[in-house]
Amino acid sequence: MMNNVNDRQSRSVPKRAALGLTALAWLPLLLGGSVTAAEPAAAPATKSAAKAADGKDWAPPGGRIGYVLWDEVSWGLRETPNKEECPNGFNIGPREQFAEEFPKDGKKRTLAETQLKREAAIWDPDTTPDEFPFHEATGKYAIGVNLDGKDTPEDFESDDGRKGIDNQLFRVVGCVRNYRKEGELGIITTKWRAQKPFNRVTFELTGVDSLKNDPDVTVSYYRTLDTLLAGPTGNYLPGGSQRVDTRWGKRFIISAKGRIVDGVLETEPFKEILVPEDGMGDPAINIFRSAQLRLKLTPESAEGVLAGFIDVEQWYYAMNTAWATHHAAYGQASAASIYKALRRLADGYPDPKTGQNTAISGALDMKLTQVYVIHPESAPPLSAAR
Amino acid sequence: MLQRLLGGGPQSRKKKVLLGGGALAAVLLAAVVVGAMRGPAEPQSKGTPRSMRLLTQDQYLNTVAYVFGPNVQPTTRFAALPRIDGLLASGAAIAGLSDAQLETYQKTATKVAAQIVSEDSRPYLIPCEPAATDAADPQCAKEFLAQVAPLLYRRALSEEQIDRFVAAANQSADALHDFYQGLSVVVEGILMSPNVLLVAEVSEPDPDHPGETRLDSWSLATRLSLFLWNAAPDAELLAAAQSGALQTKKGLAAQVDRMLASPRLETGVRALFDDMFAFEDFNRLAKDNTIYPAFTGETAVDAREQTLRTVVDHLLVRRADYRDLFTTRKTFMSPSLAPIYKVAAQGPGWTPYEFPADDPHAGLLTHVSFEALHSHPGRSSPTLRGKALREVMLCQTVPRPPANVDFSKVQNPDGSVKTARERIDFHLQNPSCAGCHRIMDPMGLSMEAFDGAGTFRHEENGVPIDTSGNLDGVEFTDIVGLAKALRDNPQVPWCAVRRTFAYGTGTPADSNDRRVLEYLSAEFAGQGYVFPELLRDIALSRAFRKVYEPHLRKTFPLPDLKSAERPQQTASAEPASAIHP
Repeated sequence: MMNNVNDRQSRSVPKRAALGLTALAWLPLLLGGSVTAAEPAAAPATKSAAKAADGKDWAPPGGRIGYVLWDEVSWGLRETPNKEECPNGFNIGPREQFAEEFPKDGKKRTLAETQLKREAAIWDPDTTPDEFPFHEATGKYAIGVNLDGKDTPEDFESDDGRKGIDNQLFRVVGCVRNYRKEGELGIITTKWRAQKPFNRVTFELTGVDSLKNDPDVTVSYYRTLDTLLAGPTGNYLPGGSQRVDTRWGKRFIISAKGRIVDGVLETEPFKEILVPEDGMGDPAINIFRSAQLRLKLTPESAEGVLAGFIDVEQWYYAMNTAWATHHAAYGQASAASIYKALRRLADGYPDPKTGQNTAISGALDMKLTQVYVIHPESAPPLSAAR
Repeated sequence: MLQRLLGGGPQSRKKKVLLGGGALAAVLLAAVVVGAMRGPAEPQSKGTPRSMRLLTQDQYLNTVAYVFGPNVQPTTRFAALPRIDGLLASGAAIAGLSDAQLETYQKTATKVAAQIVSEDSRPYLIPCEPAATDAADPQCAKEFLAQVAPLLYRRALSEEQIDRFVAAANQSADALHDFYQGLSVVVEGILMSPNVLLVAEVSEPDPDHPGETRLDSWSLATRLSLFLWNAAPDAELLAAAQSGALQTKKGLAAQVDRMLASPRLETGVRALFDDMFAFEDFNRLAKDNTIYPAFTGETAVDAREQTLRTVVDHLLVRRADYRDLFTTRKTFMSPSLAPIYKVAAQGPGWTPYEFPADDPHAGLLTHVSFEALHSHPGRSSPTLRGKALREVMLCQTVPRPPANVDFSKVQNPDGSVKTARERIDFHLQNPSCAGCHRIMDPMGLSMEAFDGAGTFRHEENGVPIDTSGNLDGVEFTDIVGLAKALRDNPQVPWCAVRRTFAYGTGTPADSNDRRVLEYLSAEFAGQGYVFPELLRDIALSRAFRKVYEPHLRKTFPLPDLKSAERPQQTASAEPASAIHP
């Protein structure tokens, strides 16, 4: 018997006709009253699927699997134990540059001539030759993707032998302490990425017949809304859910075709991938043009790079707004010098008017963990890892 | 009953209405026939003992929230109650009161009183403004205290008693030069009164049944309210008690139906099942995070909530068959639970969820709340799960293990032993173990389909898990089979009746009249196992309000060494009426 719970009258009606003819007064209600339970709309069911043991081929249920970004290892820096990529050492930072430019020589200088001049160089940078030597990272190898299909002298080689790796951003920040393991950006950026919902982005693969080898998959990129599923030791676990932000995140949504070879996903270029970056409350968006993914996939995680031609002005703005002065000082990251290097080494998307490149090749070295991607007004994704 | 007699579903009943006068005549005839065929009347019984029990923490807080509003929720932790015959509600009748507990009650009362008279709350909690805030105002104090004190004492209070409270408030206000602090002192005192903290039931001769005793109106109101709402009676119920309406059949039915129709019923049903399922154990549930990293503190909280939501939805919203709780695939999902179930969470909060028909999750046994609660911190336990199934769901008692159990066999380090079935096989080989384990392990092993965190699995240590088993002679091959076997086990609804009756009357089932329980069970079955109907039947039963003097435990104090005389025996409990205001 399924009575409407709100139909309290029917509950209070005496159960036995023996209570007399008074029961008949309720008859119309009993006979005609709603008998449809006021059921909340149940979510459609999920389907179970067997998860493959390690090393075996596996297809996600429904050919669909999502990965949420939680760790930005670095801006595509390949660091060697002996710092071979920085033969001239690391760059000096704003404190050292200030001390060098304005030595304590007894000479009187105004605020405008010193601090404000330096401040202006940060917030109104230019491409005039740097007054300080800038040490670019060098060497044969770098992390990244061959974005333009060419192998030119300024390109690198990957550790697994891929030629023509485009990563000029590595040359810019490879010898800046802040961006290396010695610096603090990697740790803090990951913390911000994990903790701040503003920064939540998720990739979803669809049409996946095999997570090992599939020549034709679709990769979609979304801004999503939910917190990460945290483990007990500060790590982030697979199995969480991320709802796609279709309200404010529409402009982030983009798809590209890809293929999986030996468990590694490589995509065709996305026209543009927008990566939100909120550090200290002044949010910014990094723009990756002609972006490509190269990720090693497992049912629980993905790891690899998001490479592309990164918009220089946006990247520079994000650097200055995300990081406080003390980060730049302790991390020896001189914004003015970095800007000049960025513009000098920019290698893509020339300005139609000036001919100057507006973007620099680079890569975001990152880790992602499996999530269910929840699309509004659509069937929920199928159960995985069952 | 009437619906069943008419036969058919709602559509067919509608058609019958259209048949006109002939049908109406038939209905009239049917009603008369049903009257003649009504089931057996409630059997005679001894009733239940007139008890004195401690107000539980939730009952206290629910009462405070009702009287002063939901914002008045002090953070507190009352002492744990003993679990007697499967219920804390029964344990409340034998719980003692220690100095430490009194200190907790006092701290809690202080917090409540302070919040009531705070500048934020006083405009809407105190119905008048004093002439001056730094002096006593007997009129305003009386207005406030006459309103709240009866609700806290769960009975009408005499004019003299209210005047004593007012006098105390005046005295404190004058001493502290603060009207509101004066009120606060009295509220604190009321909340610490034994008459508030203890539910001391009072009996009276039953005029309809000479020689028998029944609960007096106030005690009946309190028993009803604690049963159905897990809180003290509201003003309307107290009014019915005061007018005597509660002692009439019609008046009692009206109040019970009103309470069953109230949204507060959900609070009562949640409390009942939280108690019945021993969910207070969640307060100390911990899992080894290195083994079950997805099981967090939030998971434990949500696991408890998931089952209670399912129970409320199934029993109250859908008014579905109680037994189907053990097979239903409808439940609710939260982001903390979804990773354990390996499904997607549809929202940031709770969302309705239904497992597909071929899914191994079916019914309460497959909830994380059951599988994780009855497991070890780092591994599952067929024995704990089998024991819980017997004791919690079937109201059976599994004897305690002997003191000299050799646990080394369970912790067998032999690497070739992969599954729990192999590990505990010796239980059934060893005659001294087999006696008890035979009633736990066969169904506990089928629940090995879930690990210690409650996540479904096919394998243990790379070996497929054999989930076959049997429950009281019913064979099954998997957890869904066990769920069906449990659902069809006649002990399941019987256990629900027994526990619910004991919960409602506040006395262990041992004291209950078995014939009454059989009668209630038959009614429960006849009504299609619709749980609110069981609540109604219990609340309206004579056994619920009929009481007898409990057997008093005699105590033998130490002899007076000075006089070397043996003191006389004394009863451990005084007549309850002695402490009433």
